[in-house]
Amino acid sequence: MTTTAATTSTPVVGFDQVSKSYGEVRAVDGLSLALHPGETVALLGPNGAGKSTTLDLLLGLKHADSGTVSVFGTSPREAIVAGRVGAMLQSGGLMDEVTVGELVKLACDLHPKPYKVSDVIARAGIAQIADRKVNKLSGGQSQRVRFALATAGDSDLIVLDEPTTGMDVSARQAFWATMREQADQGRTVLFATHYLEEADAIADRVLVLHRGRLLADGTSAEIKAKAGARRVAFDLDGEIDEAPIRALPFLTSVDISGQTIRIQSTDADATVHALYGLGVYPRNLEVAGLGLEQAFVAITTAEEAKQS
Amino acid sequence: MNSLIKLELTRALRNRKFLFFSVIYPSVIFLLVSNQTGTVDGTGLSIAKYVMVSMASFGALTAVLMGNSERIAKERENGWVRQLRLTTLPGRGYVLAKTASAAVVSLPSIVVVFVVAAVLKDVRLEAWQWLALTGAIWAGSLVFAALGVAIGYLASGDAVRPITMIVYFGLSILGGLWFPSTTFPTWLQDIAKWLPTHAYAALGQAIEQSRSPHAKDITLLVVYFALFAGGAAWLYRKDTLKA
Repeated sequence: MTTTAATTSTPVVGFDQVSKSYGEVRAVDGLSLALHPGETVALLGPNGAGKSTTLDLLLGLKHADSGTVSVFGTSPREAIVAGRVGAMLQSGGLMDEVTVGELVKLACDLHPKPYKVSDVIARAGIAQIADRKVNKLSGGQSQRVRFALATAGDSDLIVLDEPTTGMDVSARQAFWATMREQADQGRTVLFATHYLEEADAIADRVLVLHRGRLLADGTSAEIKAKAGARRVAFDLDGEIDEAPIRALPFLTSVDISGQTIRIQSTDADATVHALYGLGVYPRNLEVAGLGLEQAFVAITTAEEAKQS
Repeated sequence: MNSLIKLELTRALRNRKFLFFSVIYPSVIFLLVSNQTGTVDGTGLSIAKYVMVSMASFGALTAVLMGNSERIAKERENGWVRQLRLTTLPGRGYVLAKTASAAVVSLPSIVVVFVVAAVLKDVRLEAWQWLALTGAIWAGSLVFAALGVAIGYLASGDAVRPITMIVYFGLSILGGLWFPSTTFPTWLQDIAKWLPTHAYAALGQAIEQSRSPHAKDITLLVVYFALFAGGAAWLYRKDTLKA
């Protein structure tokens, strides 16, 4: 072995067979995952998939019934005390009756590796509301203040739970531009979202969570591929002979309603070629990529069908 | 943690309603009541002296009980407590900062009553008595600070204000802070003398009478403090596991 051989780097976040139940409900069910330095990771899932519980476990706000959670190789609390984690909670309230500036100063004072208060305020885009009382903010402004609190110091991991809730489109774009800067500085960013386009555009890795389990883990392109990469739709005249259509190669799903046929295929080229081979004349032929949203729905419904 | 105490304090001092009720209001009641001459039965103290201690105790009680219980309940619900748990602030830091800032506000509410009594009503005491009174009433207010924290972790939402009010007025009136408990019917006196507020005021009265406080009153206060602080700690831990 040479000196340049890779040292096994400690994952930023490690979940090992983690489970957490509330009464009968298994919110997180045997979850194992590892996040690596510098990744921007989206945690996707329908409501009740266990996203918030997963983040709470990661941040040490909740304790796992079984399994272990580690952050930078230590317990979540130790990582927080070391100033390595900045987090923005969906349910993170703010202190009332103080100004935005005072609150940001508090966050900087509490951080072991703080940035300058004025820098944090400028970066979060809240300079013009710095003198305003926290309880007089709009939903989007509050989110920006929460973001400022999460980035008050030089943390290595930033965790965001549904960060753009309550923001309008332009605020959301501005927010992600700021977030990208954070990621570009080599930080690991983990965010939960239900805006699939955000996951698609920003994350270089997407984790799909469903009923507390990890359904898919990959780039958004890989997730789309996993769901059946392309969508083929066309109309046929006259009576439709279903059997040969259902027997087309590379299909993952077929939907025939009236004269319209919608297909998902992992190899649309081969499927369309075979379709012409049937001797039919498809009209209005469309071949399109699946959005992450459709991929997501496809994955979760397939999983539900498997379970029921 | 100091920065959180500072910010809690800034906020408390900015709240005019809170300052009025904890600092100004007790002095106003003192002025209204202390006009009567004579002594309070069974104490040998002039009405002005007796009421001065009662109102200083009442002001301190207001300062430590009223603000905190409601704030804690609200901040538990809106998630600020959770957000703070994502900082380096130690778990107890939040409660300690609340208690410390309340203690800072309760000091002026005691001193203002004393100054008003001495300047406007000619209440005269030895220097050591003034100091001992301030110290005793200030230290004693910790019992109620602990109670305020416990209520903040026990009650939530709409319930916290009425519960705080009932406890606050119940303890103030039954403990004899508003009217000497010697004016109560006997059965009520029997209840009143076991209340923490009664023991609290008795502490100050003993100092005014230049004698050492009853062991029973001190024991009562210590037991209540242990009870409230223990309850608050237990409720805090329960809340932390749930959050």
